[in-house]
Formats: sequence, C-alpha cells, structure tokens
Amino acid sequence: MSTQVHTLQTLALRKEYPGTVALNDVTVSFTGGQVHALIGKNGAGKSTLVKLIAGAIEPTGGSILVDAREVQLQSPQDALQRGIVAVHQELSLVPELTVAENILLGRLPKKPGFGRSIIDWRQVYTRAEHVLAGLGVSIDVRARAGTLGVAQQQSVEIAKAMSYEPSILILDEPTSALAQHETQRLFDLLRMLAARGVVLLYITHRLQELREIADTVTVLRNGLLVGTIGIAEANPSTIVHMMFGEVVQRVRPADLSARTEPFVEVQSFSRQGAFTDINFTVNKGEILGIAGLLGSGRTELLRGMFGADPPDTGELIIGGERITPSDPQQMKDLGVVLTPENRKDQGLVQLLNTRINLCLASLNRLSSHGFITQAREQSSVDRNIRELDIKVANTEAPVAFLSGGNQQKVVVGKWLNTSPRLVLFDEPTRGIDIQAKQQIFQIIWDLSKRGISCIVVSSELEELLDICHRILIMRQGRIVTDVRPGEISLENLFAVCMKEEV
Amino acid sequence: MNVPPRLQSLFSHGILESILVLLCILLAFTASGFLTADNLLNVLRNVSMQGVIAFGMTMVIISGEIDLSVGSAVAFAGCLTAFLTLKLTGDWFMLPLPLAIAVSILVTLAVGFAVGTFTGFMRNRYQVPSFITTLALMTGLSGAAELITNGFPLTPFPAWYNFIGGGYLLGIPFPALLFLLTFAILQFLMNYTSFGRSVYAVGGNAEAARLSGINVKRVKTMVFGITAFLAALSGVMVSSEIMSGTATTAKGWELDIIAAVIIGGTSFMGGVGRIWGTMIGVVFLGVIMNGMTLLNVSEYWQHVVRGAIILVAVLLNLLQKGRAGR
Repeated sequence: MSTQVHTLQTLALRKEYPGTVALNDVTVSFTGGQVHALIGKNGAGKSTLVKLIAGAIEPTGGSILVDAREVQLQSPQDALQRGIVAVHQELSLVPELTVAENILLGRLPKKPGFGRSIIDWRQVYTRAEHVLAGLGVSIDVRARAGTLGVAQQQSVEIAKAMSYEPSILILDEPTSALAQHETQRLFDLLRMLAARGVVLLYITHRLQELREIADTVTVLRNGLLVGTIGIAEANPSTIVHMMFGEVVQRVRPADLSARTEPFVEVQSFSRQGAFTDINFTVNKGEILGIAGLLGSGRTELLRGMFGADPPDTGELIIGGERITPSDPQQMKDLGVVLTPENRKDQGLVQLLNTRINLCLASLNRLSSHGFITQAREQSSVDRNIRELDIKVANTEAPVAFLSGGNQQKVVVGKWLNTSPRLVLFDEPTRGIDIQAKQQIFQIIWDLSKRGISCIVVSSELEELLDICHRILIMRQGRIVTDVRPGEISLENLFAVCMKEEV
Repeated sequence: MNVPPRLQSLFSHGILESILVLLCILLAFTASGFLTADNLLNVLRNVSMQGVIAFGMTMVIISGEIDLSVGSAVAFAGCLTAFLTLKLTGDWFMLPLPLAIAVSILVTLAVGFAVGTFTGFMRNRYQVPSFITTLALMTGLSGAAELITNGFPLTPFPAWYNFIGGGYLLGIPFPALLFLLTFAILQFLMNYTSFGRSVYAVGGNAEAARLSGINVKRVKTMVFGITAFLAALSGVMVSSEIMSGTATTAKGWELDIIAAVIIGGTSFMGGVGRIWGTMIGVVFLGVIMNGMTLLNVSEYWQHVVRGAIILVAVLLNLLQKGRAGR
C-alpha cells in the first residue's frame, strides 16, 4: 500500500429529486492524512453527499475529483475501482458466511485449472488473515460472521473495506453500535489509516467524539455547505449554531394554553431493548414534545402506546380506565392514534387512491351495517381536503403521486376522521417543505385548541421548542428530564439530548 | 397524467374487454355454431364451476396470499356430500333422501369454510405462508377424498340431484346462475363494503393496514374462508353434474383458476385487482377453449395457446401499469 496523500474534492455538486434539492451546489475538499467529520441534522444532505461519492446515486450537476482528476461514478463498482469505499451504518455482512468469505465477497481467489472456477480456500483464509492483521485485529477468519459481536462485525466491515485498498474511506456513523472501548479501538484504526494518506470521511451525530477523532468538521444544512472549520475552533455552541442556523421563530398562536386536566397517564412502561420505566402524564389539549437522539427509544415509546409494538409491562390510564395497549385497533377505538415516522410504508397504502387512504381508519364510521358507498366517503374526503388544505388533483389517483407534505396531511386526515383524543406524531415534518411544515404545526395547534392532546417526536429540536407546551427528553430508553420551551435554549436542549454541557 | 381520468380508466380497464369482443367477432365468422344461444350458454356452464372459485381466488390474491388447495377441495367436497348422504340415509340415521342431501350439502359448505379458516389460522398464528399450508391441504384433502370413498365413486344421488350442476332455470343453466350470483355478491362485497376495502388495504400494505386499526388477521381468515366455501360449493355442483362423489375430479383446477385471475388483471403482488376483471378472464378462457374445440384444434395445441395467453395478458397488464405510472 502506497503512502501517497490522496485528495477528494467536489465542485458545485448537486442532487435534485422531484420537488426538493437534496444537495445544493456543494464545493468542498478533503485531504488525506486527516479525519474529516461530516455533520448535520437529519435531512441536511450528509447521506446524499456520501451516496454521490460512493457512486450509489448520480449527481444532477457538478463534479467529483479524486486526486485532482475528475471521475465519473455511475455505480458503486466505478467508485470501488477509483478506490472509494463506504462503510454504511447498517452492517452488510452475510451472517451465514465466514469472516474470510465476507471480506473477499465477490473476489474469492481461484485455483488455476477448470477455467479458474474452483475456489482456493487456503488463499482465501491467508489473504483475509493478512488484511485483519494489517488492522491489528485478531478475529478467527473461519468463524461465521453471524456469530461475532457487533464490534467485531464492524471490524470485519472495515477489513472488507480495507481489502479494496481504498484511497478514500467513508464511515457512516460507525460507532452507533459500539461500546466505549470498542470505539477507542476503531479510532486507533482510523488514525493508522489516516497516517497512510487515506482520505477519511467520518459521519457522526455524537458531537463529543469530534474532539477525539476529527481534524476538521464540515457542516451541512438543508443541502447547503455551511462551512468547514478546524477542530480547534469547533466548540459545541459554534457547531450547534452551524447545524441549526438562525432559528426563525414561527408564528405561534397567542391563545395556546394547555388545560391542567390530565388525559392520559403512562405508568411504568417498559419494553426490552426499547424503553425502560417510562412514566408521564399528558393533559387534555396539551402538546407534549419528546426530544432525543435516534435510538433513544422515542419512536418505540409511541409505537408502544399505540399498541403497534406492545410494551412488556406498564399501563395507560385513560379517563380513569386502566388500559394495557395490545393492538392498534384497540387503541384506535380508545382514541389514541399514531402518524408513523415512516409515512410511506406505514402510514399509507401507496397503491390505493387518496380517497380510500383517507377513509381507511374510519371504515366503521363511514359504513352502515358494513356497506360503504363512494358518496358517503366523498363528503368526508371533501371535508378533509378543505380543512387540511390537501393539494390533490384527483382523489381517485394513487396517493403515491402526492408530495411528501400532502401525503402527511392524508395520514393526519385519516386519523381525524376517527375523532381521536390523543394523536401521536412521529417525525411529522420529516422531508416536507417549509410551507407544509407550518401547516402541520397549525393542524397540531388547532387540535390542541379543540382539547385533543398531541405527542410530537421530532429530530428538529427547534420545531419542538416552537410548537410544544412541554418537552420530555429521552436518552437510552429513559426519560431523563422535562423542560418548557421558554426556559431552555436550543443549545442547551441539544446538549441535554447529547448528555453534554455547553 | 394529462389524460382525463375517465379516458385513462377506459384505457387501462378496457383492453381485455376489447380483445374479448374482437375474439368473439372473429369466432362468429370462423367457427360455425359459435354464435348460437345454446353454445354461448354452454360456454357459461362450462366455466361456472371453476368460475365461482375464481372470484374467491381473486380476493385471496388481492390480499397478498394464495390458495393451492381449491382443486382438491372441490373433489373432497363432492365426495363428502356423497359420503354424508350415504351415511344419513343409512341404518343409523335413516333420514329421507331429500333431507339427507340438504343436510349433507350444508355440512359440506360449512366444512369448506372451516378448512379456509384453518389456512388463515396457520398464517396468522404461526406465520406459515399460505402457499405451504394450502400445498399441504392440496395433498391432504385429495387423500381424504380417496379415504372416504375408498377410491371408488359414491353414487347415492337421485336423478333430481342433477339439477344443481346440470339443470336449467328459465332456459339458463343453473350452475351458470350460481356463477353469476357469486359474481354479483363478491363484486358487491369487494366494492361496497368496508370488508372489501380492508382486503385491498391488507394486500397493498399489511403493516399500514394494521397501523390503521384494521384487523388484518380477521380479514385474511375471512378471505380464505370464503374461498374454501366457494370451492366446496363448486364441489357440490360438480358432484351433481357427474352424479357421484369422485376423488379424482378437479385435478389441477387451482392453476386454471389462478390463470383466469391473473389474466383478469389481478396483481400477484397483492393490493390490485378486480372481481370484474376475473369475470372477463374466466369468460375469455372459456371462449378460447370453446372456439378452438369448434375449430377442431387439437387439445395439445389448446394447452399451448392457453399458456401463451397467460403470458401475454400479464405482459399487457404490466405495460399498462408502467404507462399509468408515468
């Protein structure tokens, strides 16, 4: 392996999807020998940038330069040939194959003879051992990948990446599954690679790691490059400011006040591996935010309350009645409904049209003795479209044709038709434009005024500060504290979620 | 998307119908005896026994499942009706024949429904794919039919029993009337009831349906139950037509039925399909077969042609979908 110092540059790199610009003319350069952290909120454009560099998607405009030469990357194979290797957040090992097979997958060395169609197993194992030894890790190359721990699997992933002898290595949140000492070993590995001149691009949401491993910090926001700073200048408040920008206070209705009458009490909710001993109360008409990082258990908690993934233990007290959530149908009948995080796959039936999707949860109300007619549905559909301002040309066309914001409104409308009393919103504004976001906020505020309680989970902390009466903060499956929007700054809220003092 | 919805819908729904009409016109000129009332009613009678099941199969496939057991269920149901009739008129019960037949038919239909709910139970409770459960049932029911008949046709039926499968009412074959009635009921069920909506939703995206508070398990159980019930009905019709309970009838019907459903535009991926489309698919296959027989095409060629039709119909459907998605 050479010790040439490699470079990676992008020039006005751009990626558009219908209706959105995922990456907006980003010009940035990374040099070998250093670890470059890439940070930004969800949807800031990090993964788009990584996918473009790794050849998984093609740019709409701009160019990518490796070692100062422009490259055309039309597939991941193209990228691999140029020495660009990405290790994605989700492990991609084949659990039934051995470590060695995984490392050399698709490139197993062959024996001469029979048209080189017979695998040379001795070669396979020695080469895999060689790669692992080069990284200073000792793992049995004959073990099946599925039997390894997460950290070891991570090492195998990196070994696999290294076996391509990359000049550019991209790691997407590699530490999210690792324990502290395992993270340390990964960092040692990265520093060793950097010393060989490899360009290291490191995506993370753990700000406390930056100081330990990164040499530069590059921040993206809304598809734009905010800037690159050296690690010395990167104190947490600067970074939070770069990530979130000037926060625009949204038009919040003045008369938004929660009643003090409790509506739902959550009592000692626990589910193995998701959340532990959760207790809180939602008042009638209250908008309660839940803040926390990905994997803090916030989505799981909402799904638990809705009965989608019932909790192992714990109860809800709704209007004095003790309930053990067991399935969504039961919770719907009790007036507890969920707009799921993944609206495309869980909120809507994409094959069906807008009318049917809007009526999907309220079939019992719309039908008489099980019979349903389009005329009966139409009046309710028309009301949804009017009240939620859904932009739909033809309610008989598949809901898949609608924009993200309008699809989200269809999900909300679907539930409003069931006369809910508590609406659980999981990432209600993900991937929708600013105007639609404001409309979703307005819908939540209107629900609150009508005495309907809302729980909002969002990665957009500034949104929670804008729309909620109260915010619970979750970390590692537990509620650590609750705050009121007027009493905490965005930086502090972020720091509490991260468990870090600003 | 600039095409007006009405025109678009005509375009995407009308192709098979148009081809069927063209085919009929062509046969009217080339095959002597095709365009006569007797022959057309005959076509309808010929398709009716597979046809009643095809409507149920449409629901099963729309809901994202499959049922391979319907052919064996037909044979089993026919044998069970004959077997029960024998037993009920025998020494132990000594029921009068008409009553014995009525009870036998009702019990057979109920057993059919129960067999379907069993498939649903295996699917819901143990996540056994319906392909596997119904494959097992296909063999099992066929064996059960042989067991209760000892491998020989049972013939306990009086001459009037032939009415169900071979009689005429107002000049129309009675089985064809049952076929049309089944069509009307399932057409209504799928288009004008909340149950029908749920079937489409479950097949389109079971998780989204579950998270909309739809009882996915009950929907699947009902869909299998209705289909197996219709297979049992078909079995009664067949036993009436051939005047016996015979274990070797209806072999391979499941594939003919699935073919008709697919030709009718129902997607194997679930969530998409129409009862009306299946009606067209069933009639289409019936007309082709009838026409080729009238034209003295050899039976071997008929099979080849039928295979080709299945492929072409599916391709047409996919091409249309591709265009509609633009």
